[in-house]
Amino acid sequence: MTAPVTGRSLGLVVCPRCRATVRLPVPERSFCPRCEAPVHERRPGSLSTTAALVITAALLYIPANVLPVMHTHTLFSDEDDTIMSGVISLAHQGSWPIALLVFFASIVVPLLKLVALGEILFAISRNHVRQPAQRSRLFRMVEFVGRWSMLDVFAMSLLVTLVQIQSLATIQIRPGAFAFAAVVVLTMLAAQSFDERLLWDTQSRG
Amino acid sequence: MVIVCHACDLAHRLDRLADPARVRCVRCRAELYRTNAASIDNVVALAASALGLFVVANAYPLVALKVNGATRATTLLGAALGMYDQGYAAVAALVLFTAVLMPLLQILTFLYVLPPLRAGRRAPAQNALLRILAALRPWAMAEVFMLGAVVALVKLSADAEVLPRISLLAYGLLMLALAALTNATPTEQLWQWVERSPIERGAIGRSAPPRSGA
Repeated sequence: MTAPVTGRSLGLVVCPRCRATVRLPVPERSFCPRCEAPVHERRPGSLSTTAALVITAALLYIPANVLPVMHTHTLFSDEDDTIMSGVISLAHQGSWPIALLVFFASIVVPLLKLVALGEILFAISRNHVRQPAQRSRLFRMVEFVGRWSMLDVFAMSLLVTLVQIQSLATIQIRPGAFAFAAVVVLTMLAAQSFDERLLWDTQSRG
Repeated sequence: MVIVCHACDLAHRLDRLADPARVRCVRCRAELYRTNAASIDNVVALAASALGLFVVANAYPLVALKVNGATRATTLLGAALGMYDQGYAAVAALVLFTAVLMPLLQILTFLYVLPPLRAGRRAPAQNALLRILAALRPWAMAEVFMLGAVVALVKLSADAEVLPRISLLAYGLLMLALAALTNATPTEQLWQWVERSPIERGAIGRSAPPRSGA
């Protein structure tokens, strides 16, 4: 089977910002003629940057889920909420669709992102990428749904602001919320720093 | 012309492209190229309406809460900064950036870059702004904030009376305007407006002869 014709084999690269196809005269340091962004054959340090971000996010995923994210104080009770207990109380309240939504956005999506990115990085580092089309699809899905994990952060921000009725009910933020927000940001950065072409390079060497 | 796929590096030769056009990579199905029928005027009008909605969304309370006769309302900015008061400045900054500042940056960039382009001029720092816009697009989260607000209100509705206010409606409309704005301005479309704007600055664009020395 003949190797596919790639940008690399033709000395062409795509600008990461404006997507213009440009000829790469000086491989190390060139700029896009259309938008002046720096262009590289492959994003420098993509694999190690993405790996570092994924590992950090994976470590923070634990406190994000174990530590309380909010503390609710009312006349009758004082209780800590984790991400999961928030989902459960929504379900108890009868808001099943919302409970499912938060469960997916806050618990499933970050975990899926970490597993998918980790698996992709592992396969590339072993130089053994099977079925790049499927992995590409997985990566794009992860990239697309990632931002929805911010849902809970926004909800908490609003709850904390509104429920400040002194002597009656107050809500306070707890450190888990910081860890959770960090997981969302780090996994988004990890997806953005990953150069998808690395998935296909083993195919193109033919 | 040759277009290389940004996602899998496969080179495609395209003879003639319709306008508007949408082209996907034959190998990995990534979108290689998309232009649409929107004109610069459409986008400027959309951005101007979005700016109006942004002002309204910030000028009035977003939601109010009524518990045992006591009412407490918050504005958009107040909701974004709620965590700051409790010492979580970084998380508050993240909320402020993604839910408030990024949408504003998107709107202002379009309003700053496009009208001069239509008149055949280039706004100072145009390219830098368009690059920043492209890089930061995933961080504009108006629609996620809106859904987050719904989650918060559902949670509260169990124990208190929740009163949505005018700014929540304005923010919801802003969210739709931003989605329309994003849809009307695919990267390739924006840069074609730049390339086709009457005053060409040097040899920019694919149809131009290769630059000497490059």
